[in-house]
Amino acid sequence: MGIQVKNLVKAFEDKTVIDDISFNVDDGKILSIVGFSGSGKSTVLKLISGLIEKDSGEIITSGGDIAMVFQYSALFDSLNVFDNISFALQERKDLRGKYTQKELEKIVAEKLELVGLSGIENKFPAELSGGMQKRVSFARAIVTEPKIILYDEPTAGLDPISSTLIEDYIVRLKNETNAASIVVTHQMSTIRRTADSVLMLYNGKVVFEGTPDELCAEKTDYTKQFVNATIEGPMKINA
Amino acid sequence: MRVIYKSTYTYKVFKLFYEQCEVFISTLGEIMFYCIEFLKGLRNFNTSFKEIMDQCARFGVSSLPITLSIVGMTSIIVSMQVAGEMVKQGGGNYVGMLMAMLIVREEGAIMAGFAIISMIGSSLASEIATMKVTEQLDAIQVLKVNPVHYLFTPRIIAGTLMMPLVVILASLFGMAGGAAAANITSGLSFKAYFDSVWFGLSMHDLNVCILKSICFGFAITLISCSCGMAAKDGAKGVGIATTKAVVWSFVAIVIIDLLIAAAFFY
Repeated sequence: MGIQVKNLVKAFEDKTVIDDISFNVDDGKILSIVGFSGSGKSTVLKLISGLIEKDSGEIITSGGDIAMVFQYSALFDSLNVFDNISFALQERKDLRGKYTQKELEKIVAEKLELVGLSGIENKFPAELSGGMQKRVSFARAIVTEPKIILYDEPTAGLDPISSTLIEDYIVRLKNETNAASIVVTHQMSTIRRTADSVLMLYNGKVVFEGTPDELCAEKTDYTKQFVNATIEGPMKINA
Repeated sequence: MRVIYKSTYTYKVFKLFYEQCEVFISTLGEIMFYCIEFLKGLRNFNTSFKEIMDQCARFGVSSLPITLSIVGMTSIIVSMQVAGEMVKQGGGNYVGMLMAMLIVREEGAIMAGFAIISMIGSSLASEIATMKVTEQLDAIQVLKVNPVHYLFTPRIIAGTLMMPLVVILASLFGMAGGAAAANITSGLSFKAYFDSVWFGLSMHDLNVCILKSICFGFAITLISCSCGMAAKDGAKGVGIATTKAVVWSFVAIVIIDLLIAAAFFY
């Protein structure tokens, strides 16, 4: 079932940032949410992950854990890579004490191998590049075998090659975990390389829903403006 | 008409007062909320011994040089000014007693509290505030770990346990500093000084001193962690949270000091 979002509404004070949006993401599929900065993309992820409360609407998930990869990785500075990845297994009430140290080491090694970073367990986040930090945060996200993975601008601040690598890992993690994934992004390359479907938001409303090919076909004024990155069009910055 | 009314100084002063009251009440509410959350977390206590020890080392060991310096210096300053006059008036045998009462009842705890706030309280607040603005606290929450329980418990336990030890060490250091200053400036012998120390001290004083330092340790760590947790708006927010933690901790320990003095010595 993945995720079903129905008539979701969220306002901050008197500004409605999510205005009655609905969408579905099936297991093993990736939905890209695109739109201008401030259009409510990250708010959708925070609502699904439970970081903020919705005002109305429904978020139905297939159960299991929800993982989130943050824009700037959000690795714990004071912990090394091993402790970062095994954090949930060591600290979560229902998982604490369930794994021996050897089992934790094995799990962390497996997850690091999955993101192509074997052998860096003892390094601290400050010793890693931006791309490596991002991949460690992927490993941390999947350590509890989540059913839903949320990515908040996973390629932000990375060079094109690192971005491509990250995009490959998003697809790889989807295949490995069969999780329903939502990727918030501004990058057309990320949409093309990862997404099964695309949702475009503007002022908290859905203005386009379709496949990456339909987005690139530029059939509406919204998609035309977004794909061509032009200032003229129905979407106004600071609107 | 409305514009004229809003441009008056009276309106601005009252508006500022109202805003400050609002900030005061909301900060008090935040601290109470986090205090209750922390206490709830104690029911399912699960903090590792190592984590508590790490925080104890940070609280006790790393703050010790500055705490000993501040308490030692203030004791030397007081002793230098008091001992000479008392020796002249024939009260040399009471210098130790006076210093003991001053340090154990008041100066040791309050000056150590100020030192701990400057060094540890500010560092706790900025550490947690930085975690907040870099989404590390959100990451903890998404991983289904309660950030209040995870971050507050070892820090508050360490603060509550270590503060009495720091205050006792600082008080001993202060009394030794006072003895040295009295000896150098007024020629008062160490024997005369330390003999009179015992006249000024009672178990009641020591118990109150320990109780006070436990309350200080709890208040400083709770307030500092709470202010850090409530930070927002990036780097500026970290600065505001740190300042708030320091100011609120200062005010809190003075109020606690007043209440304990009123309860036990009035």
